[in-house]
Amino acid sequence: MHRDVTEMNRNKNVEDFQMRDELISTLKNRFTTYGYKQVRTSTFEHYDMYSNIIGTVNKDDMIKVIDTTGKVLVLRPDVTIPITRITAANHNSNPFNQRLFYVLDVFRQSVELPNQKESTQAGVEFFGENTPEVDSEVIMLAIHTLEDMGFENFKIEIGHAGFFKELIQQAALSKQELELLQTLIQSKNLAEIELLLENMPIENDLKMAIQSIPMLYGEPASVIQQAEKIVRSDKMQRILHNLIDVYEVLKDYGADDYVVFNLGLINNMNYYTGVIFQGFVDRFGQPVLMGGRYDNLGEQFEAEMPAIGFAFEVDYLLQAIQQQGLAEPDSQTVDIIIYYMKEKQKEALTTAYELRRQNYQVLTFSKESSSMKPLPSRTIVNYDEEQNVLINKDGKHNFSDTKDILSLLKDTKGDL
Amino acid sequence: MQPITLALAKGRPAKSTIDLLVKTGIQFHDFHEKSRKLVFYNDDRSIKLIFVKAMDVPTYVEKGAADIGIVGKDNILESKADIYELLDLKIGKCKFAVAGKKEQMPEQNQQLIIATKYPNIAKKHFAKKGQSIEVVKLNGSVELAPLIGLADYIVDIVETGNTLKENGLSVIEDIENISTRLIVNKASFATKSAEVQQLISQLKSALE
Repeated sequence: MHRDVTEMNRNKNVEDFQMRDELISTLKNRFTTYGYKQVRTSTFEHYDMYSNIIGTVNKDDMIKVIDTTGKVLVLRPDVTIPITRITAANHNSNPFNQRLFYVLDVFRQSVELPNQKESTQAGVEFFGENTPEVDSEVIMLAIHTLEDMGFENFKIEIGHAGFFKELIQQAALSKQELELLQTLIQSKNLAEIELLLENMPIENDLKMAIQSIPMLYGEPASVIQQAEKIVRSDKMQRILHNLIDVYEVLKDYGADDYVVFNLGLINNMNYYTGVIFQGFVDRFGQPVLMGGRYDNLGEQFEAEMPAIGFAFEVDYLLQAIQQQGLAEPDSQTVDIIIYYMKEKQKEALTTAYELRRQNYQVLTFSKESSSMKPLPSRTIVNYDEEQNVLINKDGKHNFSDTKDILSLLKDTKGDL
Repeated sequence: MQPITLALAKGRPAKSTIDLLVKTGIQFHDFHEKSRKLVFYNDDRSIKLIFVKAMDVPTYVEKGAADIGIVGKDNILESKADIYELLDLKIGKCKFAVAGKKEQMPEQNQQLIIATKYPNIAKKHFAKKGQSIEVVKLNGSVELAPLIGLADYIVDIVETGNTLKENGLSVIEDIENISTRLIVNKASFATKSAEVQQLISQLKSALE
């Protein structure tokens, strides 16, 4: 027989799915405690919406479909843009702060990773305000969620979309030069940055400033101190103040241990305007979360609407959790198994119904007709011809009806 | 404390890297060139050294199996790994070049066949020039390809140029300079910042 081998999907079996589901509910619970409400956006979006907004998703990366009228649609390549569009449409009638979260699949294709066309993102978006308090609350939410998942050694790198932009404006580079420089800064490639700048007609001070960007990294106070030396405009000064303000609030959350500054952080999504950040967990080379402030995106949909958000890559989180052994092995047990003889079927099934109503997990087996070996369980209930017996870790107990079972279960509650 | 894992390319570059480490005061006493062991610890067990195939070093670092790697730029470019490239150790210097029988490149728009061990680098280089190519991936003796008509040109590492000369080939175009680099996993740079930065600054001062 021909085996259908697929590399598209990492999660192959029931246990993997359970683990994923548990992770997602952990995320959802935490998002909810910060006042976020779940939303969903359409799987299909208009190609034009994405291609008209500059600096978002590479056109070639989007997966396109054509509808019956010949219109080109794309499978949702990003969630922030459609959520912004929806929120902008309601913004004038509902000018309050909006806290929204989502758990949705996004679809992109690339030549480099032909087997990774879909990934699940779990993220939040906060619309309506731009203050250090909002920024730090959103970052705190990311930290809090990583704690929930059991990660011990993790860091949130915080930077600012404007700091590098403002500096580089003074250098008047061509588009290609800028792209190359950004790639080099993203990989902190100091040797080649120096080579690249060497032959450019840029004054020395500015060169030194650009070269120092990748290493403006680490403990916030010392990064700020270093960064102040290369400040060349009022705007850069304001940006540093903004970062300090955010950090001060994070300190009051008691979260400063998890935070480093990285002014060499550049996000390829060009819509970011303020604080940007990404999260790393131990021994996992990709950021498991990314986000930042994007105050101007609302204008694309005719609403003035400052906003900040971030998204977890659920698949990365799962890989990291498995890699670090943080997932508890799914026990593969049920609460109660009932075996019964045919003549006691009615009694047994009534009991099963009652126990399920009380939220116990129950499986029933007819002793005569079922040949399958059942799953292990902590409590076994036997309806035999002569007697009814419940077996649990305390031993055997005779019982006459459902009420007896419930009181026996209550005695050992917690571990059934 | 968890040791820092350092991945080194097996073979020739390993020796000069170990020498450099010794200069910074990091000793691996049970290491000698002929050993077949793949894992070594330094004296205070703060660094764990693993030996892997050069081409795999960027993968080890990207995936977090190693915190730091020391490897040639050729392998970094070919792997396209998403890592920090923090230091040029300035050893193992050579370059990537296009070589062939003729002195000049032919007119554009004509599709070329390029033989190479490094398809990604070849594709990237010719794409930048707007030249369409077909790549023949070979694993060795690449110089042979233009001689027997398997390819028009080759893309390969050139150190002295002697191998090319002896096979009647010459460099037509330089692509990029290569030397040994220190690369770092992005998560390790964040979560083991102090240890990683210390090792880097030690190496830096040994280079000066």
